[in-house]
Amino acid sequence: MSTLLRTSILGIVLGFALSRIGFSSWDEVHRMFTFESLRMFLAFVVGVTLLTLAWPLVRRFSATPPRWSARPIHRGTLAGGLLFGVGWALSGACPSIALVQLGEGQAAALFTLAGIFVGNWLYSWVHERYFRWSAGSCVDD
Amino acid sequence: MTHHWPWWLGGLALAGVALTHWFVLGRQMAVSGRFTAIVNRWRFGAPDAGARALQNASRADLLAAIQAATHAEFGAQEEASNAHASSTRTSESDGTALAALAPSEPSAAPVSRVRTLAEHAVFLGSLVLGGLFSALLAGSLELSLAPSGEIFASLFAKTPGGGALVLLVGGVLVGAGTRMAAGCTSGHGLCGVSRLQPGSLLATVAFFGAAVATAFVLRVLS
Repeated sequence: MSTLLRTSILGIVLGFALSRIGFSSWDEVHRMFTFESLRMFLAFVVGVTLLTLAWPLVRRFSATPPRWSARPIHRGTLAGGLLFGVGWALSGACPSIALVQLGEGQAAALFTLAGIFVGNWLYSWVHERYFRWSAGSCVDD
Repeated sequence: MTHHWPWWLGGLALAGVALTHWFVLGRQMAVSGRFTAIVNRWRFGAPDAGARALQNASRADLLAAIQAATHAEFGAQEEASNAHASSTRTSESDGTALAALAPSEPSAAPVSRVRTLAEHAVFLGSLVLGGLFSALLAGSLELSLAPSGEIFASLFAKTPGGGALVLLVGGVLVGAGTRMAAGCTSGHGLCGVSRLQPGSLLATVAFFGAAVATAFVLRVLS
C-alpha cells in the first residue's frame, strides 16, 4: 500500500474519532474546560494511560529499537503552551480540529484554519528574528 | 452532534489511532508538525536535491559516501600504506576509527526520511473527510456559515462577524503557540506525555491550564 494511501486512512480514522469523541464541538470542548462534563477529560486520560502502558511493550517487541524523538523543555515550552491554551479555548480547536470541523460542515472553521497558518508563519518569523533558540520540532516525529 | 462516544471508547480510540499511526507510518502522531512543515515549505521552498539526498540516506550509505570521499581526497588505504611503507605512521588507525563509527549492523532504514508536501496535505485533507463521514453517518451534516454552538453564540454573537474574529484570533494563538512549544495535543498531549517527556508534560499542563482559565474567564464575562 502506498504511503499516501496509508497516510490518508490514518487521517480519516483520526478525524472520525475526534468528531465522535466531541473534540470538534465548541460547546462540548467548553463543557470539558469548565468541568461541566468530565467525559472528554476522561477519554484523554484513558488514551494517555493506555499509551503509557503500550509504548514499553512496542519497544520490547520491535525488531529494531524505535527512534522516538525526545521532547525536552526549552525556552518556548511554557509560553507556547499557554498561548496555545488560550487559543484553544477561544477557537474551540486544536490544529487537527479546525479541519474536522470543516468536514462536518462548520464553514466558520475556515477562519480558525487561516489563523493557524498565519500564527505558525508569524511565530517562525518572530523566532528567527528575535529568539533563535533551538525549539526542536514535531516535524521529525 | 449527539452521537458522542462514552469516555472509555474515546480513550480506546485515541490510544488506538496513536499506536496505529506509529505502526503504519513509522512515526509518532504529531499534527502541528505537519502545519509547520507546510509553512516551512511555503517560506523556504523545497529542499534542494543535496539536502534531500543527505536526509534520506541510510547510515550505511552515509558511511560509504564518507569513505569514498576520504579515499578520493587522500587515496585508498592500500595505496597510502604502499607509498609510505617506510613511514612509522600507518593509515590503519584511520580505518579502525571509521569502522568504530559504523554500527555493528548498519541499518538500511533512512536516518530521517523527509516527508513530501503531498503526504502532509493528504493527511490534513483526510481529517476533513473523517469529519465529513462522521457527520454523514450521524445524519447531522449541514453547512453552517455561522460558528456553531449555543454557548459560543451566547458569548460571541455580538462580536464582529458573529464570532468569526474570535475564531481567527484564537487560530493565530493556536498556530503561534503550537509552533513555539513545538507540539500540540497529539504530539505533546497524547504521545509525549505517555512517553513521559519533560517538555510534553510541561506544555500539556500549560495548555490545559490556560484553556481552563480562559474558559472560566469567558463564563464570568458573559
